[in-house]
Amino acid sequence: MSIDLPALIVSAVLLAGLYATMSYGLALIYGVMKIVNLAHAGVMMWGAYAAFLLVARLGVNPFLAPLLIVPLFFGLGILLQRFVVRHVMSAPPISSLLLLFGTWLIMQNIAYLLFSGDTRTITTPYTLLTLKVAGFAISVNRLLVFVVGVVALVSLQRFLGHTYLGKAIRATAQDSAASQLVGINTDRIMEIAFGIGTALAALAGTLMALIFAFDPDFGRSHLLKSFCIVVLGGLESFVGVALGALVLALAEALSILAVMPALQDFISFAILVIVLIVMPGGLMGLIGKLKPKGVLR
Amino acid sequence: MSKMLRSWKTWVALAGLVFLLALPFLRLAGGYLQTLAFLTFLYIILSTAWNILGGYAGQTSFGHATFYGLGAYTTAILALRGVPPLLTMPLAGLVAAFYGLLWGYPCLRLRGQYFAIATIGVGEATRLLVLNVDDLIKHSALLQGLLHRGVLTGGATGLMLPTPPDIRAYATGFYYGTMALMALALLVSWRVKNSKFGLGLFAINMDMDAAETVGVNTTRYKILALLLSAFMVGVAGSVYAQYVFYIDPQTVFGFPVSIAMVLMPTIGGIGTLVGPVLGAVVYGVVQDRILTANLDLGPIKLSLSSMHLLVYGGLLVMIVLFEPKGLVGLFRRAAGWWQRRRSRPVAAAAQ
Repeated sequence: MSIDLPALIVSAVLLAGLYATMSYGLALIYGVMKIVNLAHAGVMMWGAYAAFLLVARLGVNPFLAPLLIVPLFFGLGILLQRFVVRHVMSAPPISSLLLLFGTWLIMQNIAYLLFSGDTRTITTPYTLLTLKVAGFAISVNRLLVFVVGVVALVSLQRFLGHTYLGKAIRATAQDSAASQLVGINTDRIMEIAFGIGTALAALAGTLMALIFAFDPDFGRSHLLKSFCIVVLGGLESFVGVALGALVLALAEALSILAVMPALQDFISFAILVIVLIVMPGGLMGLIGKLKPKGVLR
Repeated sequence: MSKMLRSWKTWVALAGLVFLLALPFLRLAGGYLQTLAFLTFLYIILSTAWNILGGYAGQTSFGHATFYGLGAYTTAILALRGVPPLLTMPLAGLVAAFYGLLWGYPCLRLRGQYFAIATIGVGEATRLLVLNVDDLIKHSALLQGLLHRGVLTGGATGLMLPTPPDIRAYATGFYYGTMALMALALLVSWRVKNSKFGLGLFAINMDMDAAETVGVNTTRYKILALLLSAFMVGVAGSVYAQYVFYIDPQTVFGFPVSIAMVLMPTIGGIGTLVGPVLGAVVYGVVQDRILTANLDLGPIKLSLSSMHLLVYGGLLVMIVLFEPKGLVGLFRRAAGWWQRRRSRPVAAAAQ
């Protein structure tokens, strides 16, 4: 069996864009509220089904569907934070973990009720289209997914860096008590952050639905991958998340060379556990640690 | 003693015990009730075991299915090679505990949420490994010896155990055996709760740094709790394999198994002795009732089998929001209200 290594790397990079989109929501929510959003998996799955309804049933262009899905899930995220999650913000972390886990179970089973457990796929006019660039065959579908993901992330990054609201979100992530002191309504900021995180997860779900097959249980392995990326990236940094996504996508792609395809997911879960244990600061932490020692400049 | 005899609680417990002991002879509903009771005993063992780590020590594990699965597979693999299944039970517990040591030692250094996430990863990775281990072994000359008629775990097909000739007597034997194991599990849980070890676990749960400062060896305590928990779950897995005669990775290693072990103690009352029992009973009965029920709304026929996790998810959210101590907390609240209500007229008369 011969494997086209450059093509493998190109597709890994394209996948990394999607992975970054799916993990950044998790990182943002963790950064601002210090809670691990297990409902992330449920939101991704709902995003996928929203795309399924819009694209496969109503015939909306798959790359316009996010324009509808993102605001919708932003609202859902705000409602979730206001009526559910807010009540456990001051409780021990296990409470929020269990609460969001329960939310995930509810979302998953509503999907089972509405859509049954059948595996679904979305076929679009772009699905089988390929582009030849410099000798590589690139799937147009994956390229567009990559572009949408990157555009969303970059505009979010601009928003966080250059607007008052964005700066307030970052301030709350750094120190919520101090932010309150300087007059930031942190309750409101947390609602917005949860909304953005939820919208990003739904966007990632939508984009994933255009590439992969999905069922109501579909978010779980992607949730674990998101954790893996976020932990690799060091939980609160944007560059870190992008880097983590790239590392995971490459590791997965290259693992085909070493293990059988059925064990590909095993690789990412193993990475998750190992990274959690060995480098709690993630890649950025590792770089930071090596800098003073002069190993890296 | 006489005080105990006068309490209604003693009599209710005694009546319950007599009923459970007599159940196999009553043959209620064609033995259906016996099966339900057996499964509930098994759930109680799992729930109590999870509670030692998750409730007492406060380390939420979403990976306990690994122990259940390893226990079940240890028994099945050895039984297929001619070892009497009953003899494999302690070994099943030990294998599970060893595996617990393997991933628990590094993972338990992580705190709270990170530990929980790592356990999801461990659970999924283990399931995938068991699913594919046969193919891996086939390619390696060294490990070929592990195969028996070409299989070790049987992959997605799972493993089938031979059934005994007199299945009714066999099931009744397991009924009493599991009941005894359940009693043992509860005894262990009670002993732990009232020991120095248990106090250490509670201290870890409340504030790990403070516990360390006052001299609790937190790492050792957490690992011991995990080992104990893993051993009990492993034995329960072994019982399951012997009772059902068929196991596959999804039913014993699947994420729903881990979910069940989180749900039961949480519903009943996390960190209490009785809570996991109540939670397991509710889980067992709801599971059974809901899985078999069908709603008939004229034109719409709704199978409720897909709804059981919806119910549990809803319960979990309600419990976290309104009563973190679960059913036990609810009962305590009701009892307190009842006492206040009864004592009020007396207090008024005294004034």
